[in-house]
Amino acid sequence: MTLGVRRWDTLGDSVQGVGKRCNQDWWACEGTGSGDEPLVLAVADGHGSAVHARSELGARFAVDRFLGLARSFGRAARDGHEPGRLARLMTYARDDFPRALVQEWRSAALGHWDRHRPVADDGAAEPEPGDKLLLYGTTLIGAVLTPWLFVAWQIGDGDLAVVEHDGQLRRPLAPAEEDLGDETESLCGAQAWRAVRTHWAPLFDEARGPRLVVLSTDGLSKSFAAADGYREFVEGLDGRLAREGAAGVKAVLPEWLRQASQYSGDDTTLVAALRPVRPASATEQKTES
Amino acid sequence: MSDIPGGAMANRPVHFIWLLDCSYSMQGEKIGQLNYAIREAIPEMRSVAHDNPAAQLLLRTVTFSTTAQWHHQVPVPVDDFTWQDVQVDGMTNLGEALTLVSRELQSPPMPQRALKPVLALVSDGVPTDDWKAGLKAIDATPWGRKAVRVSIAIGADADRGVLQEFLGNPELQPLDANSPKQLAAAIRWASTAAVKAASQPVAASADPLAKQPYAPPVLDDDDDDDVW
Repeated sequence: MTLGVRRWDTLGDSVQGVGKRCNQDWWACEGTGSGDEPLVLAVADGHGSAVHARSELGARFAVDRFLGLARSFGRAARDGHEPGRLARLMTYARDDFPRALVQEWRSAALGHWDRHRPVADDGAAEPEPGDKLLLYGTTLIGAVLTPWLFVAWQIGDGDLAVVEHDGQLRRPLAPAEEDLGDETESLCGAQAWRAVRTHWAPLFDEARGPRLVVLSTDGLSKSFAAADGYREFVEGLDGRLAREGAAGVKAVLPEWLRQASQYSGDDTTLVAALRPVRPASATEQKTES
Repeated sequence: MSDIPGGAMANRPVHFIWLLDCSYSMQGEKIGQLNYAIREAIPEMRSVAHDNPAAQLLLRTVTFSTTAQWHHQVPVPVDDFTWQDVQVDGMTNLGEALTLVSRELQSPPMPQRALKPVLALVSDGVPTDDWKAGLKAIDATPWGRKAVRVSIAIGADADRGVLQEFLGNPELQPLDANSPKQLAAAIRWASTAAVKAASQPVAASADPLAKQPYAPPVLDDDDDDDVW
């Protein structure tokens, strides 16, 4: 048993949209944020309509495959201070990681299709891979946090919000122009890796890293009547976490998400990581790990 | 009551716009059946809206004949919508109607926060003005490009080529309504399936020919005595 610094408190939940046959979102959160155990957060939103009939599985594959890749990536960042290594990591994050993610997701989806083919239709032609992948269509937002690095990726809609150490709120992966309606980029798209957006933020001083990172599916942001409702939500969440800590928000989060889903009509998922406030009298808060 | 930060919440509007041909060629049974079919379709539209509580269905109507004008200019929530019969007048100025609608598809007045609008075009004839300019004006608006479009060709004299081009997708076909029964079925489909399609999330496609998440029904062979 060792004692280590508790770097992050985390919380997350998901609720099924009104009238949906099942919750087509998926999410995960693992790791402590140390060099050996990077904190990995991910949410995915299966498209859910009839043409994406297996999208709840697509969302799950996306999160699962992201976790594996992000964990390895985070561990590889342990030696980021070595000359040239940070630049190589950045190139990998921007160019290779999206391709690897899309490739792994496609493999998972096509593998599932092979194992769970529709009841044979005599004479029916084998669907093209693109048509099979369409069934599993999903978005994905994922982030990895280590003591030296914060990297996030996004394909499709949904939101990544970051509250910096000084309280400044940023949405680093928000598109310049929001998609109209309910169309979104997707992992099932042709050359989907080109649609993956990347946020790269080395942390030269851990204490000046973000104090709150929030990932959510679009069921949350699309529920607010005002254009800046989502921003106000994150600011309010940040304030509430500062006052009550993660435990207080964990208790009300399911009800918040349920309320949002009633207006957006969508499955609604949020996962967040909060850097605990360290007592002034202590330099480190110790926990068993 | 939950105290979620972020202020008021609201569902998102689906703007449904009928574009109805009210030229003289619609005189008689056609216009009567069109009025009847739309009036009868309203309860089903309400039902679809209630099944999609996250969408607020708002209706408007443009008629076109010698001029184009709003029959219902202000978007009306489907629960408050009552049909007022349209009347025939003169020519078939479809281009003017499309231009009129294109102004409403700009943002503003269309909110950024909305579901895809639905444009439902019904015609029995050949446009008598520059309809291509009107269609271009619609295609020039972001919401016009996103709109779910349906078209219904009433009778054998309808210009299916124009209605096809309005759809903007070679994989979709205008719906033929060659009898009162078929017109009622077509209006019912346009009123409901298109609204469902507008409120379904789908993967965006760079391929303009990609299949739409809806397809017109195959109407039964007509066995009405009245065939247009």
